[in-house]
Amino acid sequence: MNIIKGSARVLGDEVSTDIHCSSKYLPGKDTAFIATVAFDNVAPGFAKAFVKGDVIVAGENFGINSSREQAVHVMHRMGVAAIIAPSFGRQFYRNAINNGMPVIECDIGGIAAGDVMEIDLAGGRITVPAKTIVRAVPPLPAAVQAVLEAGGLIPFLQQHPDWNLGEKAA
Amino acid sequence: MGHTIAEKILGQHAGGKPARAGEIVVADVDFAMIHDARAGNALKMIEKLGAKSLPHVRRTALVLDHYSPPPNIEAANTHVAMRAFAEKHGSPLYDVGDGICHQVLPEGGHLTCGDLVVGTDTHSTTYGAFNAFGTGVEGTDVSAVMMTGKLWFRVPETIRIELQGALQPGVWAKDVTLTMLGRLGAEGANYQALEYCGSGVAAMAIDDRMTLSNHAAELGAKAALLEADEKTFAWLKAHGAATPRPVKADADATYAQRIVIDTATLAPQVARQHHIDDVVGVPEVSGQKIQVALIGTCTNGRLDDIRQAAAILKGRKLAQGVRMIVTPASRAIYLAAMREGLFDILASAGASVEAAGCGTCVNITGHYIAGDGQVVISSANRNFKGRLGNPKSDIWIGSAATVAASALTGVITDARTVAGGDWRAAA
Repeated sequence: MNIIKGSARVLGDEVSTDIHCSSKYLPGKDTAFIATVAFDNVAPGFAKAFVKGDVIVAGENFGINSSREQAVHVMHRMGVAAIIAPSFGRQFYRNAINNGMPVIECDIGGIAAGDVMEIDLAGGRITVPAKTIVRAVPPLPAAVQAVLEAGGLIPFLQQHPDWNLGEKAA
Repeated sequence: MGHTIAEKILGQHAGGKPARAGEIVVADVDFAMIHDARAGNALKMIEKLGAKSLPHVRRTALVLDHYSPPPNIEAANTHVAMRAFAEKHGSPLYDVGDGICHQVLPEGGHLTCGDLVVGTDTHSTTYGAFNAFGTGVEGTDVSAVMMTGKLWFRVPETIRIELQGALQPGVWAKDVTLTMLGRLGAEGANYQALEYCGSGVAAMAIDDRMTLSNHAAELGAKAALLEADEKTFAWLKAHGAATPRPVKADADATYAQRIVIDTATLAPQVARQHHIDDVVGVPEVSGQKIQVALIGTCTNGRLDDIRQAAAILKGRKLAQGVRMIVTPASRAIYLAAMREGLFDILASAGASVEAAGCGTCVNITGHYIAGDGQVVISSANRNFKGRLGNPKSDIWIGSAATVAASALTGVITDARTVAGGDWRAAA
């Protein structure tokens, strides 16, 4: 998987993606609409200023209490390239991988909005060249990388209906 | 080095050898569930997958419980689509009024000890009460299961929780889960599995054990597993489940943490408004006024909960100014409670009984919207601000015993201080 390069967009701790990035509480609104207002209540103007390829840098338990995979569909529409946070809500983490969104558990100390970051998923490294921040992160398990590379679980199974994770599973 | 129950069950389903915490495995799933609140998404994902066939679809139940009965056209149409899907593919279907997914799956004999079960609901941890690894997933996951019978899992670390001593009369599994929430905090067990063990678990009836596993979802737990015993086997047999394959933890298994709770002396607990981990002993807040009392949900809408409420309210009236709704967790519980005469007792006391479903848990059917400044005491699992439709009302969470005792007096009340509050079926 190629190295992801993008600018940091910062969110706080304990952000529920059900509340701030889905139509759970906005019945009748579609994914396209949510993508224009997502996270506005915790970071005013967040969606509007989001540029395709930006990286979300969030606090503790990003996606806490969130079960809806629609949140990831919304983020794809916004153009989110990856999400890094010290910890994620369990179901959100699973939904992100299943929908082809790279999620990396990492200390975010020192990373500020606008910092240009490089994320090397296979190599397990996050860098902010301008700040000489270099952080090692555990490489994603091969199975997770295979699902992410395919673009999510559905495209993965379309290519590998037998769950063959290839040589990487070894 | 030995293995936890989670490592064993996931390993057995992924080739046979026990797995290790932290590993990713692709495992055979025994049974799956989709409920109506996530069915819209799940059916879309199945379509997107475009599988030529869905060979495992008959092991996926569709449950119409959240929008039961449907409050709007969109929900009604989701139900139409679910019924059509089940008919076309031969999936088991539980219709409006049949009950809540986590109750009807075990009652329907769909799972047994040692099974791996997934559902589109965080409270799928409930199946751990039967020594099955149950966990919450989304539509994409269930689509994968229907097509391939398999799913990927990260094997969780486990927290071992020993409950020392049988609970006193008037104290229930809910008081244990609230104690855990007070200690670890909401999501305090994120990604992890729980194993509950000890004499406190052994003394519990199945209804109470289901609460123990169910309410672990608020801790962020991926699964909440109990070992099986004669009570488990008898219950599963009575409900037509397959032959149990019980799984025990090894004595030298590795745990992320070990916790001991003195359940013999535990007092009833409540979570105060808005935060499920803002937990205090009932004696510390007795006197707090309430206007609405709700018994129901997948956490505490079972027969023992309704029996306990009836024991407290028998021959009495709700306190003036208190409204009470009782919603059994399933049609089977509804029928049993009716035949035992419990509805007569509850209705005579001034409570209303509603058809089985998720209604009193969250404001999606508008079953009960409290007014500004009103306080609700509920046997549900969550009390986020506005969960029952009005952010200007408060929701407190306790056991069915605490809810019934509080409905009787009009203030938060320790069930141990009222007649009938000591009811418990001979286990």
